[in-house]
Amino acid sequence: MADHLKDNVVQTVLGPISADELGVVLPQVQILSIIPGAEFAPEIEMDQQKQYDALKVALIEYKRLGGQTIVDNGGMFKGRNVQLYRTLSKETGVHIIASTGLGPGTMVGSYFTTQQTEPPGPMPLDRLAEMFANEITKGTVIPRRERTGPAGLICTAANKDGITEFEKHLYRGSAQAALQTGAAVSIQAGKDPVYELDILEKEGLDVSRVIVGGLDSLDADERGDALTIARRGAIVALDHAGWTPNRGYVSNDRRAQLVLELFKEGLGDRVIISSNAVGYAVGHEASQIGFDHVLTSFVPMFREAGATEEQVKQLLEVNPQRILSLEGEKGLFKPEVEGVDITWVK
Amino acid sequence: MGKINTVLGPIATEQLGVTALHEHIGFGLPGCDLDTKWWEARPKMLEVTINKLRRFRELGGRTIVDCTGIGTGRDISYWQVVSRVTGVNIVPMTGFVSGDTVLPYFRDKSIEYLADLFYHEITVGIEGTNVKAGAIKAGVSRGGLSELDERVYRAAARAARAAGVPILTHLSIDADRQMDLIEMEGLSLDRIVIGHSDGKEGLDPERDFRIAERGAYVGYDTIGFDTEKGTPEVPAPFWARPKGERLDQVMNLFNAGYANRAIISCDANCFALGWASTEHSVAELLENFIPDLKDRGVSDETVKMLLVDTPASFLTMQDPQPNLVEAAKKATAQV
Repeated sequence: MADHLKDNVVQTVLGPISADELGVVLPQVQILSIIPGAEFAPEIEMDQQKQYDALKVALIEYKRLGGQTIVDNGGMFKGRNVQLYRTLSKETGVHIIASTGLGPGTMVGSYFTTQQTEPPGPMPLDRLAEMFANEITKGTVIPRRERTGPAGLICTAANKDGITEFEKHLYRGSAQAALQTGAAVSIQAGKDPVYELDILEKEGLDVSRVIVGGLDSLDADERGDALTIARRGAIVALDHAGWTPNRGYVSNDRRAQLVLELFKEGLGDRVIISSNAVGYAVGHEASQIGFDHVLTSFVPMFREAGATEEQVKQLLEVNPQRILSLEGEKGLFKPEVEGVDITWVK
Repeated sequence: MGKINTVLGPIATEQLGVTALHEHIGFGLPGCDLDTKWWEARPKMLEVTINKLRRFRELGGRTIVDCTGIGTGRDISYWQVVSRVTGVNIVPMTGFVSGDTVLPYFRDKSIEYLADLFYHEITVGIEGTNVKAGAIKAGVSRGGLSELDERVYRAAARAARAAGVPILTHLSIDADRQMDLIEMEGLSLDRIVIGHSDGKEGLDPERDFRIAERGAYVGYDTIGFDTEKGTPEVPAPFWARPKGERLDQVMNLFNAGYANRAIISCDANCFALGWASTEHSVAELLENFIPDLKDRGVSDETVKMLLVDTPASFLTMQDPQPNLVEAAKKATAQV
């Protein structure tokens, strides 16, 4: 391990850093979110300069509010542009963590779901895991050319109507890649978060390395999923701050209460907060909630509800820093040529 | 007299020459670009591609139709380089190889939207370029014609009528339904090739006669995917056929007098993008298959029909009827 890194290494798009350098973290958002295929539609404008400008403004504002790190949970197939993220990170000073992974199934290309075999089937599990793990240890792919900065976690998601067979396959591949690299897995849960956590656990993954997203939905709240999941030892992501009951999520008041309940139960080390914000959406409607929302709206409300400064720090800094740290050194990014930005592949 | 769109602009029908109607510079399922297993240095890919197309030209070949639809490896600027360097005309296509290759953004789109998309690529340009598509791809998903496949067929038929280009399909599975969909949309069946009739996938030689009798073209267009070519390292794909068996199938239709309702092509990838192909090249059409046909007694006139006349009449753009897209939209709005 490089000398400047002590324990708790987190992989940003610009390379590994110590977790305590992350400061205030906004996890579970998407920086650039493109519905796969939108780039081929004549009515869609693909303009990186516009993307860059809008994202730069959003990141500078986030930084002004005290934010230091942002985590893109879009995975590898929903418009991720790590080169753009690297430029944004260099220019704004905000740490950016990118993710590998695929899902939900509706957002995946047929190379992964329906391979040219008889009978047709998904990409084999070991290859899926290898592909994700390589994005962490060798760098994320820029199609058919090079690898660039590494992914820092593995993200997947299930269909809201219930996890599909293919998505179970993605979950298993994600768990295996996590075992190979020590990176965390973040899921955006479908209908049954507990069952989905079982899938990951059955692969041998310690659930303390799993972020379960979407636990602030009305359904999850009704079932008491946040407590159940936290008691099992996984990380509860109340990651729809700013979303409303009208859109299927609890209000920020209720969200703040949920966090406090977890603290009261002694589970305050197992919760993170986010807004599922989209920095720049292409080909779909996104919520108008920005990267600023957690700091400008949720945190004041959380304090008003009785949260201590220590609890705020736990929620925004301590918990995400711990979960994003690689376990061990096996997943540490090793570019093929040390100190060179470009890793040509072929 | 007539016009055909290529990646280097429209050409006259008479410039087509010997044409392979169903080929690929490189095909790969959406997402394969992210798997480094298939990456190769671009100069190497270009070299392999150029060598195959040069051989095709040396044997008299002049034009290929690249049947790679939206999102499966279609790469206009690269194809322009390939066309310039080799002198082979490349006719690009709009449309989708099959419903299961349709990317998420397009999966829930209406027939009207898809027809507009195809029409745009034929009349305005592909992916922001001014290169216009010369034909439309539609096809059958693994497991049979799906609801999304049917939307693509209907949209393809509407855009084909409106813009005057023909349709080529991936697979002959559910051929009768494919043809029904085309007719329902008012497109004449002589504007469609029902593809891969000679492939192992869903093979049904009786079906060839139904396709021919209804006036569509039978696509004998996986020539060279021979089971004999399989090796332990690269097994023959599941759609491969024993070479002689394919020839028997083709000769049966020809001997029944339907050579004028067939097309021949290889479906070869110059450089496959997301799968392992056995050795294969469009040049095999002229190098192996035509000699095989002649050995079986096929005349020079029939060979010329297969290689030149049928492709020319099929690809030549017919009178465009742009009002048809609008009319179909209005009709749908009223329902």
